[in-house]
Amino acid sequence: MQLRDYIIRRLIALPILLLGVSIIVFSLTRIAGSPVGVYLSHEMSPEEVLQIEQRYNLDKPLPVQYAYWLRGVTQGDFGWSGVASAPVAEVFPAKFAATMELSVAAAVVAVALGLWLGTYAGVRRNKMPDHITRIVAVSGASLPLFWFGIVLLIVFWANLGWFPVGRSTNDIWESIAHPTGFYTLDAILAGSWTALMDALWHLVLPSITLGFGAVAIIARMMRSSLIEELQQDYVDAARAKGLPERLVLKRHARRNALVPTVTVIGLTIAFLMQGAIAAEIIFRWPGLGRWMASAVVRGDQATIMTYVLFTSVLFLVANLVVDIIYAKLDPRVRLGD
Amino acid sequence: MSISKTDTTGAQTVAPATIASVRGLKVHFRSKAGRVHAVDGVDFDVRDGETLGLVGETGCGKSVTGRAFLRLLPVPPGILAGGSVMFRPQTSCGGCGGEGCAQCGGSGRRPTPCPTCRGQGCPDCQGTGAETLDLLKVSDKQMRGIRGDRIAMIFQDPGKALNPTLTIGEQLGEVFLQHRSVDLLEEAGIDSGESGFQAGALRRLAGQRDRRTDRMAAALWPPLRRRAQSVRQALDNRIAAALGETQIPNPRNIMRSYPHELSGGMRQRVMIAQALACDPDLIIADEPTTALDVTVQARILDLIGQLQAKRGSSVIYISHDLSVVRRICDRVAVMYAGRVVEIGETDQIFNDPRHPYTKGLLAAVPTTRTPRGKLAAIPGSVPELVDPKPSCRFADRCAQVHAACTASDPILSAVNPGHDVACFLEHPTSPKTEAAE
Ligand SMILES: Nc1ncnc2c1ncn2[C@@H]1O[C@H](COP(=O)(O)OP(=O)(O)OP(=O)(O)O)[C@@H](O)[C@H]1O
Ligand code: SF4
Ligand SMILES: [Mg+2]
Ligand SMILES: [Zn+2]
Ligand SMILES: [Zn+2]
Repeated sequence: MQLRDYIIRRLIALPILLLGVSIIVFSLTRIAGSPVGVYLSHEMSPEEVLQIEQRYNLDKPLPVQYAYWLRGVTQGDFGWSGVASAPVAEVFPAKFAATMELSVAAAVVAVALGLWLGTYAGVRRNKMPDHITRIVAVSGASLPLFWFGIVLLIVFWANLGWFPVGRSTNDIWESIAHPTGFYTLDAILAGSWTALMDALWHLVLPSITLGFGAVAIIARMMRSSLIEELQQDYVDAARAKGLPERLVLKRHARRNALVPTVTVIGLTIAFLMQGAIAAEIIFRWPGLGRWMASAVVRGDQATIMTYVLFTSVLFLVANLVVDIIYAKLDPRVRLGD
Repeated sequence: MSISKTDTTGAQTVAPATIASVRGLKVHFRSKAGRVHAVDGVDFDVRDGETLGLVGETGCGKSVTGRAFLRLLPVPPGILAGGSVMFRPQTSCGGCGGEGCAQCGGSGRRPTPCPTCRGQGCPDCQGTGAETLDLLKVSDKQMRGIRGDRIAMIFQDPGKALNPTLTIGEQLGEVFLQHRSVDLLEEAGIDSGESGFQAGALRRLAGQRDRRTDRMAAALWPPLRRRAQSVRQALDNRIAAALGETQIPNPRNIMRSYPHELSGGMRQRVMIAQALACDPDLIIADEPTTALDVTVQARILDLIGQLQAKRGSSVIYISHDLSVVRRICDRVAVMYAGRVVEIGETDQIFNDPRHPYTKGLLAAVPTTRTPRGKLAAIPGSVPELVDPKPSCRFADRCAQVHAACTASDPILSAVNPGHDVACFLEHPTSPKTEAAE
């Protein structure tokens, strides 16, 4: 199948998948309790509560409620967030940008460091660097993210004071506009070096915390597939042509080793979305994850639904991107089979 | 480590008409059970322009011997335990420019003059005046210059020896980029005296030494892009010509396809085109048809033979298939358990075999039920090569074994001109090798 046709087909399937996901999550949240809580205050009488239920159609059967919710979503109305005391649609963009900035930073750290470590260890199989990266990798895969984050927080923020928490130092940002909501981009657009450094500085601890586990997984995958590829005949054939070892590795072995590794990278994207919740709480990062955590505690169903919908879109798009890279790397891959 | 007797008489055994000579080659492998003597004192010469067959049962060290020429051995666990592989690179004949003339005997190539004595003859070149390199000792850089240019290898399974993620053109082109970048630049009309960023970038692009900035500049900066494209075109022309020479139809289309889109026979043609791209002096063909359909095997063999004859290259042809060896080889070396036990003209080996192992091999008519690499008529199998005792390696399986055979180790000595055998039946007083360490 042509790559273009495949992308179009997957994009058509996207809304259908989302519809399925939203039905399941909608049912689950409604089973957990009525969303009326976010509209209530202590002084309300039972009649007033009933009125509110009627106003928001909460007295109707579940499928009808779902239909109302869906109609709202298609019109850009995602409901009222009790946690934020504002419409979801109004709060969402800024929090989305915060989470994306953190996740992208973590993904860049994880992919770059993971591939580098994996290559380094794979080429020096069973030598010292390989053993050291193995230790890093095993600890990365087994240390709980929240614990690792708290350790970093205690050491580098509380004790050493090298890195800040939160997202920005307020006085620096007073004069800087937020056209994109990504602080690093906003700082570049405003041409402010201090603001850019501030944005990056705040990203260090949370993105390391979030990316550490993924580094481990990517590095181990890269190492083992590189070792396997280095034993293939085509590697010797490349050497027999007179290629220097640098090119044998770069052009031949590593390219093939990336094929299975890219699949793993795709899976770690979901891992990052899970981890973002803990990382945002630990480092007081004003993103979707922290919002979601409070929403779950407070029964803020509109927020939960939006978060799940968003994560699903992100996951499906990430998978599509991985498929495309996969097909680009390995010409034998037939997309859509 | 012991040095075999023949090593000291190198000047005499290395006749001017040999392109390479292997002396006392030992390649061992470290393993849990001990030191595997995979190749343990191999001696033979490869003559100019000949096809030398290397035969023997599976595991006797044929591939390891072949790979030693290009130093394509995993070290560790491999150990280059001793000996030498002397090689005389050739250059295009100055008298005829490669067309073939009386001076070069029609082959179009002549030995490269020895850089130490400029062809006068000195100890470095063993008095021959031709550049003589020990392939086991040359620097890695020098070895890379030889690989693919002066010595090339054709692998057994072209399906595995081609990179699945690169196009045929991208893979074949690498040979030219590594060894012919000067010609490519010249063909693209780039003056060798030019300096500056453009010329530097073009030279790096034509030699696979390009940096990211070179690639970016070549993609975005129109004047450089145009010139990089003409280098690309010169490269494509060479790739297409190389593929065309192996009778691949539509070379320009094949260049753009991936290995999995071609048949096994086509892939082996690509491998052959790649191996012969730079007119190597020596081609190591390690069972080049074993992985192919029976129907295409003969055609691939004919192709190798034709192209070899045209170039005057020498070939080491590694095979299990004695009938093919008999048909295409000028001389044959029979290997057993890491040694050459008999070597001679194809006629001598097939019509007058002297070593009991060779006789066994020839008597073993392979049937369809014989597993690949097994020989029906000789009972037993190749002995363990871990720390071998100083006795004839074939003693366990030999019908004519006698006292001398288990006391020491026979070495190759002549029974007829050009026909050497390592067996005490032929040489009751044969010089013995020192005990293996
Ligand atoms: N990478 C390696 N590691 C350890 N031992 C090896 C390795 N390669 C070869 N050997 C040893 O060297 C011996 C000779 O191997 P080689 O591949 O040269 O045999 P061969 O004559 O080519 O056999 P075949 O006909 O099966 O190709 C083997 O028996 C094996 O024990
Ligand atoms: S030396 Fe002895 S054992 Fe070895 S092949 Fe000759 S006769 Fe047989
Ligand atoms: Mg072999
Ligand atoms: Zn000539
Ligand atoms: Zn000399």
